[in-house]
Amino acid sequence: MPREVLRVAVLGVSHPPANKWAVRCTRPAALMADLPTLSPGALMAEVGEVRTYYMGDHAVVLHSGETAHYIDNLRAARPSIWVSCDGGAVTLVTADPYEGEAMASDPERLVEALDMPAAIARQIEVFIAAHHVGEVFHKRKRVPATSTTDQRAPRILPAEEKWTVTRGKGALPPKGKI
Amino acid sequence: MTTASTANAAPARSEQDVLRAQQWALIASLLLKAPDRGALDMLAGLTGDGTALGQAYRVLAETAASADVDAVSREYFEVFVGVGRGELLPYASFYLTGFLNERPLADLRRDLGMMGIARAEGRFEPEDHIASVAEVMAGLAAGEFDASVLGCGAAGEAGFFARHLEPWAAQFFDDLAVTPSARFYRAVAEVGRIFVDIETRAFALEAKAHRASGAGARGL
Repeated sequence: MPREVLRVAVLGVSHPPANKWAVRCTRPAALMADLPTLSPGALMAEVGEVRTYYMGDHAVVLHSGETAHYIDNLRAARPSIWVSCDGGAVTLVTADPYEGEAMASDPERLVEALDMPAAIARQIEVFIAAHHVGEVFHKRKRVPATSTTDQRAPRILPAEEKWTVTRGKGALPPKGKI
Repeated sequence: MTTASTANAAPARSEQDVLRAQQWALIASLLLKAPDRGALDMLAGLTGDGTALGQAYRVLAETAASADVDAVSREYFEVFVGVGRGELLPYASFYLTGFLNERPLADLRRDLGMMGIARAEGRFEPEDHIASVAEVMAGLAAGEFDASVLGCGAAGEAGFFARHLEPWAAQFFDDLAVTPSARFYRAVAEVGRIFVDIETRAFALEAKAHRASGAGARGL
């Protein structure tokens, strides 16, 4: 299965706690397609009490089997990348919306859908063009046995569909005692 | 032939019914597994008169006399077993719905359950295999089984045949006659096709006579 790894930089924003019992936490807030030369955890900006941290660069792995999901993602009103945080550290970044939403259903995790940078979107489009295989969904329904339009198993197996050994060890005579 | 046979009285079967039972049993045994040398020799001893069925039996006897046991068993494998699937799928479900283990099999199992018939040990095909249904027909013709317990419209031998065999048996034997690997089984298909045709017409005549006699007004 062909796969491609894109790297994307994650920026986190931490707001001041809303009340005196809450604690500060850094939430993923934006993505950058070009990676800055910063170490993860570096403070990038501070505006009043709102701090922007660099949360490191992470792999977005594209799998050729999931191109249909990426197409759905790019067709959405806002193409997104899902960033999942566990205990303040980014654990998974994915472009597959279904995987992202599945992670979002876990209350232990902090999952944010962030706008996909245009450069990443272009790379994903190239990947889709290279690897997408269109599969028509075929719903099996009952039809009368006399139907000629429905693709059903042939009553008589045609000669060209019969299984015959053509290659490999199976075509050789069985090994054994002479 | 009576549709309301009682199992406890075990009435004497007419010679015609005994012969019908034998023919169904012969067809069932040939479709259940490939015949061995003894069975082929027995088949070679058959003779036929001038009727279509008789001619078919004569052809079957000639084919059996010149048949090679290994070739016939190989042919049976190619036609009914195969790798992945055989050339034919001799199941009622497949012929009626296009898929295996479908509702026709469920209907047949329900009817067999009501008749008190179960699959024998060591038989692994679903009950809607043509050989199994033919065996049931043989039992019904011989009076071993009783189909009068089945629901209205399916009661009796005629009802069982009309429900489980008539819709597809003729088509199956037609397919068996033209399947690429069939040599010996082409003769079997001819016999089966003509016999099923005779049975269909006989049951239709019987029903017609039954209606004409006014017996339908008194129920079954």
